[in-house]
Amino acid sequence: METRTTNKIKVFRAMHGMTQEELAGKVGVTRQTIIAIEKGKYAPSLELAFRISRAFKEKVENVFQYQP
Amino acid sequence: MNYEQFKRLKMLTVFFILATVGVAFAYNNMVLALAGVLIGMLFIVLVRRRVRAVLVDERLENISGRAARWTYAILTVFIALLSLLLIMIGRRAVPQQEGIETLGIVFSYVALLNLALYSFSYKYFAKKYGDTDDEQD
Repeated sequence: METRTTNKIKVFRAMHGMTQEELAGKVGVTRQTIIAIEKGKYAPSLELAFRISRAFKEKVENVFQYQP
Repeated sequence: MNYEQFKRLKMLTVFFILATVGVAFAYNNMVLALAGVLIGMLFIVLVRRRVRAVLVDERLENISGRAARWTYAILTVFIALLSLLLIMIGRRAVPQQEGIETLGIVFSYVALLNLALYSFSYKYFAKKYGDTDDEQD
C-alpha cells in the first residue's frame, strides 16, 4: 500500500554521498527498509523519521512531507 | 560478522539439521534427530548474537505482526470449522465413531486455546504500549 508521506531521502543521500547501506547502518534499520521508504511503500515511525533527518543534519519537515 | 556471512552460516546449519534428521530417520534414532535440531538451533542463536548488522527493524516487525494476525485469523476459523465437522461426522456415522468425535472436541479446545492466547497476549502488549482509560490533565 502506498503511503501519503513523501520524502527526499534519495536527494539527501546523493548530496551526502551516502549509500542506502550506510544510511541504514547509521539509523539502525535494514537496507530493505530504506528502499521501501524511498519508494514510498512504507511510512516510517516518527522516531525513525527523526533519526533519518538527523543523519542528514536536516529538519524532519525538510526530508519528509505529508500529502493530505 | 556481517549479514551475508550470517545468511551463509544459517544455510549451512539448515543443511546440517536436515542431514542429521535424515540419518536419524534412516537408523530410526530419534535421539540423534532431536540432538541435531537442538544443536542447530543453539548454534544459530549463538551466531545471531555476533551479527553486527540490524536483523529486525520496525518495518519487519510490522510485517511479522500483520502476517501473525492473518495466520491467527485463518487458522482459528479453520480449526473451529474442522472441529465442528469432525464432531458432526463422528456423531452421525453408523456405527458411531467416537475417535472422530474426540478428535473434533480436541480441535475445538485448540481453537479456544488459540483465542485465549491471543486475548492474553493482546492485553499484555496493549498494557505495555500504554493502552489505558485513565485521563491525564
